[in-house]
Amino acid sequence: MAVAAAHPAISGHEDHIHPEPESFVAKYIFSIDAKVIGVQYMITGLLFFIISGLLAEVVRIQLLRPEGGFVSNDTYNGVYSLHASGMIWMTIIPLVTGGFGNYVMPLQIGARDVAFPWLNLVSFWLFPVAGVILMGSFIVGAPEAGWTEYPPISLQGPPGTSLWCVAIFLIGISSTLTGINFLVTIMKMRAPGMTFTRMPLFCWAQLATAMLNMVATTALAGALLALFLERQFNVPFYDPGRGGSPLLWQHMFWFYSHPAVYIMILPAFGIVSEIFPTFARKPIFGYKMIAFSSIAIALLGFMVWAHHMFTSGMAPWLQLPFMILTMVIAVPTGIKIFSWMATLWGGKIEFHPAMLFAIGFLVTFSFGGITGVFLSAVPVDLHEHGTYFVVAHIHYVLFGGSMFGIFAGVYYWWPKITGRMMSNKLGVWHFWTTFLSFNVTFLPMHWLGLEGMPRRVAQYRPEFQFWNDVASAGSFVLAASTLILIYNMATSLLRGKKAPANPWGARTLEWTISSPPPYYNFKTIPAVLKNPYDFGEPLPYLGIDPQVDEFGNPPAGQSARPAHV
Amino acid sequence: MAQYTAPRKPGLGPGFWQVTIAMTILNAIASYFIANLDIDKYLPEAADPASDIDALFKFLSVVGNAIFVYVVGYIVYFCIVWRRRASDGPDAIGIQIHDNPRLELWWTIIPAILMVIVAFFSVRIWINLQNTIGDVLTMESIGHQFKYEFRYPRLKQSVYDDMHLPAGTPVTLHVTSADVIHSFWVPEVRLKADMVPGLVQTLRFTPEKIGTYRIICTEFCGRNHGNMVATLHIDSQQDFGRWLSRQFKAQGQGSGPIALASGQATAGQALFGQKCSTCHSVGAFDQKIVGPGLGHLLDDPTHPNLVTGEKPTPADIAHVLVNGYQGPDNSQGKSGPSIGVMPNRQANALSNSDIANLTAYIVSLSQTK
Repeated sequence: MAVAAAHPAISGHEDHIHPEPESFVAKYIFSIDAKVIGVQYMITGLLFFIISGLLAEVVRIQLLRPEGGFVSNDTYNGVYSLHASGMIWMTIIPLVTGGFGNYVMPLQIGARDVAFPWLNLVSFWLFPVAGVILMGSFIVGAPEAGWTEYPPISLQGPPGTSLWCVAIFLIGISSTLTGINFLVTIMKMRAPGMTFTRMPLFCWAQLATAMLNMVATTALAGALLALFLERQFNVPFYDPGRGGSPLLWQHMFWFYSHPAVYIMILPAFGIVSEIFPTFARKPIFGYKMIAFSSIAIALLGFMVWAHHMFTSGMAPWLQLPFMILTMVIAVPTGIKIFSWMATLWGGKIEFHPAMLFAIGFLVTFSFGGITGVFLSAVPVDLHEHGTYFVVAHIHYVLFGGSMFGIFAGVYYWWPKITGRMMSNKLGVWHFWTTFLSFNVTFLPMHWLGLEGMPRRVAQYRPEFQFWNDVASAGSFVLAASTLILIYNMATSLLRGKKAPANPWGARTLEWTISSPPPYYNFKTIPAVLKNPYDFGEPLPYLGIDPQVDEFGNPPAGQSARPAHV
Repeated sequence: MAQYTAPRKPGLGPGFWQVTIAMTILNAIASYFIANLDIDKYLPEAADPASDIDALFKFLSVVGNAIFVYVVGYIVYFCIVWRRRASDGPDAIGIQIHDNPRLELWWTIIPAILMVIVAFFSVRIWINLQNTIGDVLTMESIGHQFKYEFRYPRLKQSVYDDMHLPAGTPVTLHVTSADVIHSFWVPEVRLKADMVPGLVQTLRFTPEKIGTYRIICTEFCGRNHGNMVATLHIDSQQDFGRWLSRQFKAQGQGSGPIALASGQATAGQALFGQKCSTCHSVGAFDQKIVGPGLGHLLDDPTHPNLVTGEKPTPADIAHVLVNGYQGPDNSQGKSGPSIGVMPNRQANALSNSDIANLTAYIVSLSQTK
């Protein structure tokens, strides 16, 4: 590589900056560059977002009429199971960790790559393989018992249920490896001067998420392995007729799947924590409390799993600690929401599409959080559990939360990733159509659930038809609104304006380099002197660290400082 | 980058207190309407804990509504007051503050106190639910794919699809399942318990309002999950008594002693073809279709213990035909491998003579070598 060759000090340190690969395959397909892997995650995630979204439309078409009839009951059950599995495991988790995590996190901490680039390659390639196996289960009979696949019904399920186990197991390995990778990267590879209190909040969120991914996913892997063994080799883990326990699955599943809610939402918290200061032209309010509350939520997230099981069969007294701990989580979540609101206060707010989605996130996620408190109260949950109220709640949290965060992140980092600007006008249209149709789709479901409509049904009572039709109509507009985003992306790639290095005047490190960034990210590893969101600071955020040379390596004779790959 | 401007004390911003007061008034009005909402009109409160649970729901709605109104109200207000204006230069920046420990302390403490209050009321209602009001009527419901079975203490046979309860009598309902996980939910009672195979859960409530209500399955249980419903009839004491005695009489006719000796193997063979051969072969015990092969039931030494743990007798065969089979009978301290689930005589519509004939046929299979 030209730059490296031109620099005399590089001798003996060639392994620190690899030359950019020449061949197409090494550059774009089996790349070890975290940025390329991040984009691969995003493209694959977008593909599964579209597939899973179309499956949701099949559900909404079926529910236009009380007697259903658009597809058979079996197909319907497979469709909603794969809609949820596809959205959770193949869209949101890969997008927020693998996608934005890989692309943005190393740039924000001033690293040239993640700690284990080859492991990163493995993590990514497990994802499309798992996704194809998951959606391929349609060929042999898709899993039908929802994304939760409670045994014993999942033991009777079609052959695709075993493929579902394999697919989720593989994506689980991918998540765990990414978790290890990110944890080491954030702990060891921050630029000189970037103390934990100077680290952008997106990286704090990725740190908390990495811990969750590492610890929680193993429980799911165990549960899936047991389910697979029972289905294929008749090893009785869950069949009560042979001494197994159906509740064993539920405990292990939710020990993963509750933290998984935070795996999906914490990175979205991180994304909006970047966007609010930039477009309000203000430091983030209460930096330390936002960072700390991410860790608090991650830890508390491990102690509340059984609140999904209040009706499942547990000792009644055990319901109380799970109820109270769940309510405790509202406190750190509230701290975050109030801090973001305080960041808006006194700002010079610019309503860029990224900012609109971040504000929309604040509104819809707050609503989802509040209905979460309803569900945590055992007596009320005994009525609401397993109904459309729960369906509404998770969509407010996962769509109104995670997906709105992802949309915000797309508008925010798109110029950095592609080097092209997107149309703001289309972005604003996308926001308002999405925000309104989202609420039209999911708000009526609260009412349906309270009135007595259970979830996962292919037929329902005629008196529920009106609000179901409203929800379906909303969902059609919601699907159409996504087309605006895709059109915006396509026209931006084809004839978008060239993006400057820092179109938003943000202060984090990814904006100090060209758009798109060069292969090695930073020619010179920057030294961080200040906090990331001080728009009014007279001192520069960045300087050149005297302790490292231009390539981030210690001068000859000194011991290596925490890693710069 | 923007020029550094010295920090200034801006005040809270124009109209802050007016907006706060407006939202507080809005919340007061909303709380008044929520507190006076007659939920019974939209979804009847048909049994005892329903109004308690609705009271908690209303309380949560008041708190949740207040939080949501303040959050969204301030967001909208900030977005209007602190928006970037045309007059602002490209380098205009907001007020550069980083935190306010006192404010942050308050918005930690106040939600924490609020959550303590919410938890307090939730626990209080929860304690009400645990109260055993006195087990006046204790009964069972068993979930099947895709119907509900009800067992009353004084009826020898189960009732399907229609559950009758007397108004004013505390009910202790034990629920479980014969196959996969189902759920027992009556929206008008506001209570729900999953029916888990191998596990018995208990629901306690006192029916109050006479009427018919829906029993709904809320745990996915297979192809017809959406149609798994039953009807709960809350009757007056007299109507319930009349219904019970009708059931009693109807069952009495069908449940006299079964004359096994009078069974006709040939009639049994025809019946076997209609009712049993879908699931059972007449081969060896391990020639399963759904259930085991029944060709050598009495003398095959390899088959697992069926009912009593000893060699089956004709009476044991009749016992399974009457009661069905829900897995090994662990209640008597015996266990064995699962050999599937079989419906009982009601589900298979077997009369006394049918049972005698089938028993005779199955016995004859073991005798012909």
